[in-house]
Amino acid sequence: MRISKQARRIAKELFTLCRMDGRLDEARVRLVVGRLVSTRPRGYAGILHHFKRLVELDFARRAARVESAFPLPAELREGVQTSLTRRYGAGLHFTFLEKPELLGGLRVQVGSDVYDGTLAGRLAALAARFQT
Amino acid sequence: MSNLLQEIESQIAGLQTGLQRQNVGRVREIGDGVARIEGLTDAMMNEMLDFGNGVMGLALNLEETEVGAIILGDYTGIKEGQEVRTTGKLLQVPVGKGLLGRVVNTLGEPLDGKGPITPTTFYPVEKIAPGIIKRRSVNQPVQTGIMAIDAMIPIGRGQRELIIGDRSTGKTTLGLDTMINNARLNRAAEEAGDKDYRPLYSIYVAIGQKQSNIANVIRVLEENGALPYTIVVVAAASDSATSQYLAPFAGCALGEWFMDHGMDALIIYDDLSKHATAYRQVSLVLKRPSGREAYPGDVFYLHSRLLERSARLNEKYGNGSLTALPIIETQMGDVSAYIPTNVISITDGQIYLETDLFYQGVRPAISVGLSVSRVGSAAQIKAMKQVAGRIKGDLAQFRELAAFAQFGSDLDAKTQALIARGRRIVEIFKQPQYQPVPVELQVAILWAVQNNFLDDVPVEQVKAFQHRLSEFLTTRRAELLARLAREREIQPDLAEALKTALTEFKQLTA
Repeated sequence: MRISKQARRIAKELFTLCRMDGRLDEARVRLVVGRLVSTRPRGYAGILHHFKRLVELDFARRAARVESAFPLPAELREGVQTSLTRRYGAGLHFTFLEKPELLGGLRVQVGSDVYDGTLAGRLAALAARFQT
Repeated sequence: MSNLLQEIESQIAGLQTGLQRQNVGRVREIGDGVARIEGLTDAMMNEMLDFGNGVMGLALNLEETEVGAIILGDYTGIKEGQEVRTTGKLLQVPVGKGLLGRVVNTLGEPLDGKGPITPTTFYPVEKIAPGIIKRRSVNQPVQTGIMAIDAMIPIGRGQRELIIGDRSTGKTTLGLDTMINNARLNRAAEEAGDKDYRPLYSIYVAIGQKQSNIANVIRVLEENGALPYTIVVVAAASDSATSQYLAPFAGCALGEWFMDHGMDALIIYDDLSKHATAYRQVSLVLKRPSGREAYPGDVFYLHSRLLERSARLNEKYGNGSLTALPIIETQMGDVSAYIPTNVISITDGQIYLETDLFYQGVRPAISVGLSVSRVGSAAQIKAMKQVAGRIKGDLAQFRELAAFAQFGSDLDAKTQALIARGRRIVEIFKQPQYQPVPVELQVAILWAVQNNFLDDVPVEQVKAFQHRLSEFLTTRRAELLARLAREREIQPDLAEALKTALTEFKQLTA
């Protein structure tokens, strides 16, 4: 869908209004979407699409994805959550995933930052070093 | 066996044991050698991006939600959703004397099948040009071996002289002749053990050219013994637009290494019109706003930052130099088009080649009226200044008078003499390709013209007379030419010796 410059600008303004203390306020997001759907201003479809993309990107920025070869015990999960919250601030959305192909260790991704402490990652790095 | 174990141990020791933070993103869109990537919040401008499997990219557009990157190399294997990592490194190419005699691509990888290049030093492709503190004015000549240029439009080491003209007017040939002449001079100095001579190394950057043309250039360089002093950077027409856009910057980095190490280098960008077209293509795919003729707004900056990197450094900074000969192809002789005017205004002069002259048989087809060298005369050797000082004026007068003479009106003796002199000078400046003339021989021939030794030679026989004179001087008066090359000035006694030699030659050929 082609979104006009004006629609992008309005979506951006609405998105900025939905932020509180540097974080996205879900209640405001719902309110904005509800008002857009009910009042249907000019170019509302484009505005909604771009607004959704901005919210999506914000979610991706605040998403913390923790991957391990085996299920993590509850206290370790809590430890990971605490240390990541200390580093990145509150409001992270945590997802814990099991990936046996990692062999061992943890791979943590917060937004576009990746901390790869897995055995599979180390082996891949070693393989790359030998190739060069 | 123990060596192997040590090698493995050192590789393992080199691995980072601590956790490293990496910045990653995902390919959202890929096409025409350009990728749009989501994430990569830490990406820097012009940073190299790792697409995996040895494919690298270059971050060019840092936008609010995504990064626009150009792919270096084969982009067909990249898929949507693929992970991309920042590397923290700027794009760099291997540099050094090890690349002389080699044909490389934009990334400095060999294309000539002569084995791998073992690089010791790397230079960034994008670099800020030397500032005013580091520079000095041009004071040493680049001997092109082309009489018309060395006499009338002299080029100095560190100068940027544009070669401009329509297609098939001999633009590349001028560059090739210069490379061949300097290779000849370099070799002569090496063989003579001349420590004072500063060799001039050449870099030829082929941008968007046909592979057959590039192969021909390499063959000519090889046949004339110029390849050992030359690096050829190739971004052919079949290479991606991104590679064509980066090629001149990579070539410039190769030249800068010579300049920074107190040596002299010459770089030929063949040609910047195609470079601008490649940059326009990249910019349009990156969705940058387009301006005049759909070129992006920074197309002037593209060429100015490239050509500004050519400089003459002062003694304190090593005394090195990088001379640039950019080439621009015009359409139907239109020098007032967008890219030609841009490059004309950036460079320190231009050599304009005219189609009409080319087909009249005046080759090299240099238009004396439109060609100029703004700084090169400061670098011309004194002997050349003594003999060539009046030639440009004489030729300009000849062109003006020749137009009148066409009407067949009666002319006075003085005008006829000027026209006769002009016709002879035009003949003298005709020169076959790949046969550069040593500067001392140029001086001797021009001295003969200035001192009326050619006035009684019919115009159609001037070329034959010149050949015989060159042969006579190189075979029987070699000491005179050697003296000219050594003293670089025509003192009265040398003038007398020249007069005696020429009188003897005329008696022999009478």
